[in-house]
Amino acid sequence: MSHPTASPSPELPEFFPRSNPMYQPRPDTFDELIAPDGSVRPHWQAFLKDFSALDEKQRRHAHETAIRLLKDDGVTYLAEKNGQQTDRPWQLDLFPLLISQEEWQQLETGLIQRARLLNHILSDLYGPQQLLKNGALPPAVVFGNHQFLQPCHGVPVAQGTYLHFLAFDVARAPDGKWWVLRDRTEAPTGAGFALENRIIVSRSLPDLFDDTHVQRLSSFFQSFNEHFLEFSQRDDPLAVVLSPGPQNAAYFEHAYLSRYLGYPVVEGSDMTVRDDRLFLKTVDGLKPVDLVLRRIYSDLCDPLELITESSLGIPGLLQSVRAGHVTMANALGSGLVDSEVLLSFLPALCQFFFSEGLHIPSVATWWCGQPKEREYVIENLHRLLIRQVLTPKHGLTHGRLSSFGPDLTNQDKDALTQAITRRSHEYVGREIVSPSTTPFWTEQDTLRPAPMTLRVYVTATKDGYTVMPGGLARVSVRSDPRGHWHEPGDFSKDTWVKGNKALDVQPAIVPPHHTLQLRRGGRDLPSRTADNLFWLGRYAERAEGAIRLLRSLFSRMSGEADLGDDPQTLQRLVSLLVMQEHLSPRRAKRAVAGGGDAVEAELRTILFDPDSPDGLAKIIQNVRRTAELVRHRLSLDTWNILVELGSIPKEWAQTKGQSIDDAIRLLSRMIQHLAALNGMVMENMTRSYAWRFIEMGRRLERVRHLSKLIRHLATRGTPESTGALNLLLELADGSITYRTRYKAEAKLPAVLDLLLADETNPRSVIFQFLTVEAHLTTLPKEENSASLHPAQQITTRICTDIRLADMIQLTEFKKKSKVRANLDHLLKQLDQGVLQISDIVAHTYFSHSMVQRISGPQWLEGIP
Amino acid sequence: MIFQVIHRTTFTYTQPVAISHHVLRLTPRSHPRQHSLHSTLVIDPAPSVRSESTDYFGNPLTHLTIQTPHPELIVEAKNLVDVVKPAPVQLDQSPPWDQVAHQLQGPTDAAVLDAQSYMYDSPYITIDDETYEFALPCFPPGRPLLAGVMDLTSRIYRDFTYEGGVTDVSTPVKDVLAAQKGVCQDFAHLEIAALRSLGLPARYISGYLLTHPPEGQEKLVGADASHAWLSTWCPSIGWVDFDPTNNLIPGNEHITLAWGRDYGDVSPINGFMVGGGQHTLEVSVDVSPAPHPALI
Repeated sequence: MSHPTASPSPELPEFFPRSNPMYQPRPDTFDELIAPDGSVRPHWQAFLKDFSALDEKQRRHAHETAIRLLKDDGVTYLAEKNGQQTDRPWQLDLFPLLISQEEWQQLETGLIQRARLLNHILSDLYGPQQLLKNGALPPAVVFGNHQFLQPCHGVPVAQGTYLHFLAFDVARAPDGKWWVLRDRTEAPTGAGFALENRIIVSRSLPDLFDDTHVQRLSSFFQSFNEHFLEFSQRDDPLAVVLSPGPQNAAYFEHAYLSRYLGYPVVEGSDMTVRDDRLFLKTVDGLKPVDLVLRRIYSDLCDPLELITESSLGIPGLLQSVRAGHVTMANALGSGLVDSEVLLSFLPALCQFFFSEGLHIPSVATWWCGQPKEREYVIENLHRLLIRQVLTPKHGLTHGRLSSFGPDLTNQDKDALTQAITRRSHEYVGREIVSPSTTPFWTEQDTLRPAPMTLRVYVTATKDGYTVMPGGLARVSVRSDPRGHWHEPGDFSKDTWVKGNKALDVQPAIVPPHHTLQLRRGGRDLPSRTADNLFWLGRYAERAEGAIRLLRSLFSRMSGEADLGDDPQTLQRLVSLLVMQEHLSPRRAKRAVAGGGDAVEAELRTILFDPDSPDGLAKIIQNVRRTAELVRHRLSLDTWNILVELGSIPKEWAQTKGQSIDDAIRLLSRMIQHLAALNGMVMENMTRSYAWRFIEMGRRLERVRHLSKLIRHLATRGTPESTGALNLLLELADGSITYRTRYKAEAKLPAVLDLLLADETNPRSVIFQFLTVEAHLTTLPKEENSASLHPAQQITTRICTDIRLADMIQLTEFKKKSKVRANLDHLLKQLDQGVLQISDIVAHTYFSHSMVQRISGPQWLEGIP
Repeated sequence: MIFQVIHRTTFTYTQPVAISHHVLRLTPRSHPRQHSLHSTLVIDPAPSVRSESTDYFGNPLTHLTIQTPHPELIVEAKNLVDVVKPAPVQLDQSPPWDQVAHQLQGPTDAAVLDAQSYMYDSPYITIDDETYEFALPCFPPGRPLLAGVMDLTSRIYRDFTYEGGVTDVSTPVKDVLAAQKGVCQDFAHLEIAALRSLGLPARYISGYLLTHPPEGQEKLVGADASHAWLSTWCPSIGWVDFDPTNNLIPGNEHITLAWGRDYGDVSPINGFMVGGGQHTLEVSVDVSPAPHPALI
């Protein structure tokens, strides 16, 4: 907002856009805001008056609120950038698109008709195929389309509802009429983003939103949910969101819908088919799944019968659908009617099924599979958008080709003509249309017309199809100023459909993280989520250990505690870094030889060195990565702590000078973040299985770290006199306890007692094992096993060993050995215990093992 | 002619398999020239779920789920099939190929609808300019369709080397075309791709072939193997089989198991498992003229 415009006059609502030299709709397009005579369209007038009344400060505040909310909610999508996937912030233009109620009703009627039509076509093509037999559809439209899945033919579909949730991309012609650009019937994305846009815009411009009487979105999702749940034959159905996983660009939305609808978000390998039933693998065993909201392509859903190479699906899923145990939304194979090839046939098909015309036309499209149409397209290449739409899949990928006619060279045209002639059924020519423009609120705080399209969502309900009153409007700002396609970087908009004042009594939409999960969320912890939570606990604890160690070393290098060049002290410090694998032994040796300054220099480089395989940067990265995998289980505050934590290495990189004090300051802040994280876990998470897995991970990691420290600092030599014991106390966060308890110099037996056997010390080894044991008792056990959990046998044995250990004996050396053998032995047992418990927990609860293909006799070296 | 076919597949796993799912296409389909007289399919260990059905292309299909841990799986299909020799085809009497291709482009009737489902790209067969160029020399304008197909069949037989181990199911047709090597499945895929690039329908057939031992030697039991060939569609005649691996029109020594758009639609055994580690596979196929139905 660097160039605020002159404050518009509230008395003249139409003054604002017209006074703005930027806001000049093109004469040949329809503008949403301004009518051809230059007046503001009636349904915008009140809104524009209010908007114009905002002063610069209020406008800036609105933007700041939006930016904060977007950040808080972590709204991102994954985008490919230089071959790497990066989280991109969601681009939202706060200025909404307004649509009048009358106009919306027309759109609604048209889209409902279209949804019904597409559903009819699917049930014919996956059933009797009358449309092919009577010639209403050419066979190439079906047989040449890789989205026609033969194994899905004849699969029963409950109530004939193939399409539960679909979307239409619509745009407005220069004459103001709407057309459909694309039907989206497979697993349309964006509804979650539309919801999020609504939340953000209504909170950033609350007064405008309230005064405009906008129709609410929440009932749309409620109707979907209510109706979908009825497709289950069980009273207490389990519905899931089937996602390709966090690598998918739309994973944010999958997790978002999951939270909003209260369905767990799962991946294919989280499920298994037995007895022709689909099950979710949870820590509490297998739970039957009744309903699947599918966010992956149909053909990837069952490698046994569909694309064999898919690792996203569940072998046997199709059989369980055939058996009627599972309902998919949308039904497998629904992508068939997504194709643009179908567009030109829809008017006739609409007549065929409903004996009425298509209410909303499609954008003019010519399918080259027909001779006349092919001729037309070839003759008019220069003024059409040519799209190759039936490209077959090659393995898992397929490339689609779009050519923008006016941009083609003669050479391009010749090549395209040949391709169309040879493989005509794969191509369509589409009229190039200028979509309507709508105000885009620029960074310069001005409004300018930008081409837009709108994605509108439709869902099946008990009363037939219903349209979401709103949608995801998208404006082309960067990718293509002509507005013919959208790319990452374009802006989205909230769409406000005006309603009656009476509609305002509807409940307002509530962000999903504030909604009460009406379904029993704690019941079905998928094994994979449990696994990730366990590792989140382990990595967070590992980070804390590493940070404490580095902080202690840094503080020993600065100020009064300056170590100087004493090789022995340096050696001990550096060897700790080697122990933590922050430093290779070779580099350590070189640094010690170089004296104090060389060690200090090393410390600085390794602090957040991204290349160090087990360095702090890597651990923090692991924390962030595992947290992302379970983001749908974390509260917003917890997530924000993790985001802050992850940003510290960047801060260090940007710190000028990088003094030791800077390092200590940043490390201390990280410890505070971790403490806050632990606080959130302890105080804010319900004592569900999820919580127990984080906790167990943390406890086991703490034992591992403590045992390492004790071995390194206390099993050899005289730690009392070298300062090693004090360092150990400090690293184990026991200095203060020790000092208040003993009021004396640290003595090894007393330190060991505090760190190993003191059941009241929350950082002692025995405390960790006792806690783990308590968690194990509450976790579900295999049926018929009355005996102790095998992991519990280990915790019990170790706790007994520690309780029985004589601390004096532990400090003794045996014969001429340089190692305290008893202590060393005990530590080994601890390490082994941690490993074993980890393995048992993984084996018992994390059984989301991948299925693998049994390659049959594929390419036989048969006898010719 | 009546044949007995015994097709036995043994999977051995390094670790027990906890659960496995299979789709089997091991029961020969019947068609006008072939009648399945008797069919058994024995699975060891016994599956928890087993169901028989017919797939989209009309092939018999068996679904299995084995839910008991098993270190080994044996699938044995025993079939008695009667195959009738096709009536001799007058290749030169068939209609011009370009006329057929044109007819198939246009509005359809129920009779050719079946053929039209085999005209387009399928998951393992992609047509492109190379397959088109490859096919073209055999199909000058106006040439009788079946004469062209026989010529193409012979060209593949002549110009390509039968060699196992250089290709697998994922080898694209264009690689086979470039290397001029492969096995029966590759040759079938290639010829199908060539025909489809001209706008002609072609389908993939999986089955068995009766083999004859070298003169004076006993035939070895179990030494036969699965085989693959293709079929193309000709108006008024219907589907006609061609075997590019052996340069002939199959008679009564080719036993059809299943047909589809390509190998992916008809693979005899497809399976997925949880656990199991590595696995090894042993296949034995024995095709023999049956003594008499009553004796088996």
